Amino acid sequence: MPGLDLGWSNAADIVAAFASGRASALSIVEATFARIRGRDPLLNSFTAVTDERALIRAQALDAARSGGEPLPPLAAVPFAVKNLFDVAGLPTLAGSKINRDAPPANRDATLVARLQAAGAVLVGALNMGEYAYDFTGENLHDGPARNPHDLARMAGGSSSGSGAAVGGGLVPLALGSDTNGSIRVPSSLCGVFGLKPTYGRLSRAGVFPFATSLDHVGPLARSARDLALTYDAMQGYDPADPVCADRASEPVAALLQRGAEGLRIAVAGGYFKSRNAEAVYAVDRVAAALGVNRDIEIPEAERARSAAYIITATEGASLHLDRLRTRARDFDPAVRDRLIAGAMLPASPVVKAQKFRRWYRAEMLKLFSEVDAILAPATPCTAPLIGQKTFKLGDAELPVRANLGLYTQPISFIGVPVVAVPIPMSPLPIAVQIIAAPWREDVALRIAHTLEVEGIAAAMRPKGV
Amino acid sequence: MSRKSIPRKAKTARRIRSLKRSSRAKKSDALAGLVAASAQALAVPLEPAWHTGVKFNLQLLLAHAARVDAFVLPDETEPAPVFRA
Repeated sequence: MPGLDLGWSNAADIVAAFASGRASALSIVEATFARIRGRDPLLNSFTAVTDERALIRAQALDAARSGGEPLPPLAAVPFAVKNLFDVAGLPTLAGSKINRDAPPANRDATLVARLQAAGAVLVGALNMGEYAYDFTGENLHDGPARNPHDLARMAGGSSSGSGAAVGGGLVPLALGSDTNGSIRVPSSLCGVFGLKPTYGRLSRAGVFPFATSLDHVGPLARSARDLALTYDAMQGYDPADPVCADRASEPVAALLQRGAEGLRIAVAGGYFKSRNAEAVYAVDRVAAALGVNRDIEIPEAERARSAAYIITATEGASLHLDRLRTRARDFDPAVRDRLIAGAMLPASPVVKAQKFRRWYRAEMLKLFSEVDAILAPATPCTAPLIGQKTFKLGDAELPVRANLGLYTQPISFIGVPVVAVPIPMSPLPIAVQIIAAPWREDVALRIAHTLEVEGIAAAMRPKGV
Repeated sequence: MSRKSIPRKAKTARRIRSLKRSSRAKKSDALAGLVAASAQALAVPLEPAWHTGVKFNLQLLLAHAARVDAFVLPDETEPAPVFRA
């Protein structure tokens, strides 16, 4: 495929190569499977490949192009999805042992169907933390997805396979879910771009739930433009998801060129002032590039994280209570113990957490009358080693599993949109969160694109990829 | 600091440490009791080896709950169970 480096091409390049006739959809898809066969035994990011359907789809796209039909916006772009998305013909594992006994899904999740309608080609399902209750990417049943920059390190969770497959050059696009940080944490640890849209923006129909009042879905990619193209293809009301907002699509790809000029941006102070050198460096570098010279205090962020923690544990426990009664031994013990504890928490703190959530949302909305975007670290550290139990943050020794989402939880708690932008560093990348007001994904993506154009943010190509 | 006051202070400190230990032990016992009773009430089979992990996580959740509970909100505050961004 002349001029197409499939290991690191972005979606826009693949579409252009296909449209110009430089590459057929079949050759792109076959080369993608060859890469998966060659590298995934190291990364462990895929739990299933959908080769038969992908080859049929690729042949149909080639026939459409030969017939002179208009090509859809993501024509011939390979993508994969976290294995909590329904894929017709596959059981929806959600990272668990228990769901392996479930019958195969009889249809695709809404977002899988929408991406396919936009011309993208599904090539498989991806590894993840059990039932999405995870920030590490470790999985007792499938093994850990591994960090593409250092195979001994965590990919981050719970969308671990999504981060590893995109960051490892296997696919240019993947879908993940984010309840407390599960798109942004692997984006940070694997050094890729991730979008957690506004709560209710993208349909979750056909996605295995976790804590429904916090569950979001979104894309991971190697460029801000690819995030925008994918996001645009997936927008739109879906009555099959009761949370999906009944509002018209608001495409953003064409807005990226507006850049960050004129946007009011601040750095999150207080709770978000990291004591980790890499996180500090990344936020400072982004702030300097954008000419940001003010801090803003997100009030009660630590309490917001606590409230998110409570709601997650109790909604998750409620979801899994029957499975805990009948198949507790089939859970990963780390997940099982947290879920059982969640079932034991009285109702009073949960109601208080929901009341606090309304207060906190109002306070955050006030901030967005002063600024258009807020910058904060995505993770408190770069990728820990697989199996590592604690990490140092300043003088404190914190458990890894519970604290990789330290900076993401207080943000997704009130559903505002965030783009995680990867900042290349040696030896490991780390990401910065660009946080915008509800429904203003365009603002976060414009800033992410500007940082990419200026060479500040980039998906770092791992050695050997 | 007089020589006589050292043993008295040390004794007091020892007593405080002992009271704290005893209070922690009582709390820990209470939590262990809560875990056992809740598991029974919820009909969740709790194997003895799982007790420590569940207790640790419940303790963590209660600490988060205490932080949220310490925040004073007006009685009229509406919860946000059907959440809208």
